[in-house]
Amino acid sequence: MNQAVISCLHANLPAVEAVLKDIELQGITNITCLGDLVGYGPQPNEVIELIRDKEIPTCQGCWDEDVVDGLDACDCSYPSQLAEKRGHFAHQWTTDKLTTENKDYLANLPYSIRKDKCLFVHGSPNSQHEYLLPDMDAFAALERVENARAEILFCGHTHQPYIRELADGSIAVKIKNAVPKDTQEKEIQLPMRRIVNAGSVGEPRHGGTKATYVVYNDVTNEVKIREVEYDIELTCKAIIDAGLPPIFAWRLKNGFEFAEQAEDASHVCER
Amino acid sequence: MIERWALVSGLKGDLDTYELIQKDLKKTPGNITLFVLGDMIGPEKNCNRLLHRLINPKSNDLQPWCIYGWWEEQILLESGYRGDQRAEALRISKGEEVVKSLTNAVDKSFLDWIAALQFGFVELDCGLIHGSSKDVGENLTLDTPPLTLLDRLTRLQVNRLFTARSKQQFHLELTEGIVNSEVEDLNGNRKKEQKVPQKAVIGIGAGKNYTLYDVGTDNTQFVQAGYKTEKRIKGFGRL
Repeated sequence: MNQAVISCLHANLPAVEAVLKDIELQGITNITCLGDLVGYGPQPNEVIELIRDKEIPTCQGCWDEDVVDGLDACDCSYPSQLAEKRGHFAHQWTTDKLTTENKDYLANLPYSIRKDKCLFVHGSPNSQHEYLLPDMDAFAALERVENARAEILFCGHTHQPYIRELADGSIAVKIKNAVPKDTQEKEIQLPMRRIVNAGSVGEPRHGGTKATYVVYNDVTNEVKIREVEYDIELTCKAIIDAGLPPIFAWRLKNGFEFAEQAEDASHVCER
Repeated sequence: MIERWALVSGLKGDLDTYELIQKDLKKTPGNITLFVLGDMIGPEKNCNRLLHRLINPKSNDLQPWCIYGWWEEQILLESGYRGDQRAEALRISKGEEVVKSLTNAVDKSFLDWIAALQFGFVELDCGLIHGSSKDVGENLTLDTPPLTLLDRLTRLQVNRLFTARSKQQFHLELTEGIVNSEVEDLNGNRKKEQKVPQKAVIGIGAGKNYTLYDVGTDNTQFVQAGYKTEKRIKGFGRL
């Protein structure tokens, strides 16, 4: 059975509506959302209410957490002080706009959702702020999935969609200085695991302008990345009308979300 | 001259054991650097004399290089050095009495010194920490999955990780690792075979049980304070 996984909606209502329409056209009714419903975009309440109306199971993203608990991520999330300033402005704007009911909804979202062999998180099983980048250390990536007791880990946060398979792994260990003194050696076979990043509906960072999400078939284990066009002009106008930084509209229109990518995105936020 | 590290932890206020270790190290050949990997304090006994000695070494003492451990973290939490958090993990696991004993065991005048201690040291390609690179309270042992050990090494970008939290003494080498990675994204597919160079995790022990590490040969020697040096020098095994 096919199921859709969406992430990083970022208050971009036209993008969310287009993606949900695309999912509906494929006859998929099983949808999971990996959080970041708000932040950057101009329609936070509308996006939350749409997800709530459709009763889509959702985990809490880093923006969802931050607008409730106050800024949590350290400066490492931003590539420059200017970007950080813009981010803080968007944070405050979103906090001011959100209704109490919607803040409560975000506050009560779970960190993760487990369905059989699949685990759904925003960043990583460790933190909503940790980026699981497509080319991160393979052993570290495998550790994230294995220690979460999952076979497939669905995540977002990077805004770059990918499917990563980690297979045919092994680690040989030797106990030196053992008691008794005989050296003990063994080789441990590592399980095959997958990480699926759903990309971003509302703030793509793959170099293009289309919204992305993934479709997973739990019978065949096949995963497909879907790209969806939406009315970018509509979102851009709403960003400008809302008084949000114009660069938020510019980068959506030009697919230059790379402008907000931290230099060392693999850094694990310690806060 | 041989360069050696002496790695000590879990003194928990025991000045006698510290003095025994200092005495041992004076007889140990080589150029020795002394690292104290946390848990200098604990709830069982008054820790002030040991803390004073660590901060103000005697003229013939080896200078101790200290980091904070789990018990230091608990007292810092309880004393308000970590924001609004308190030592709830300790309170839940050991009870209110132990929390009180801990705060009574350490004079408040030492708290600023404890708060200034680092989480760990990176020396050469080695990480020296109390628990793990993920958490000061994490136990790394021989039974920890190798994938987890590898991750903790990777987080610090080191090839050797010295850890104290488990109180165990062990030297586990990760001699070879391989995993195949295939990534599919909007740009297509790419495959990569990743290998791991030899790495190791070393449990240094606690209290009287400490570890000598020979930096040049990568050999560890597990030592119990007070045993005769000549016996220890014969081999690398627990005595």
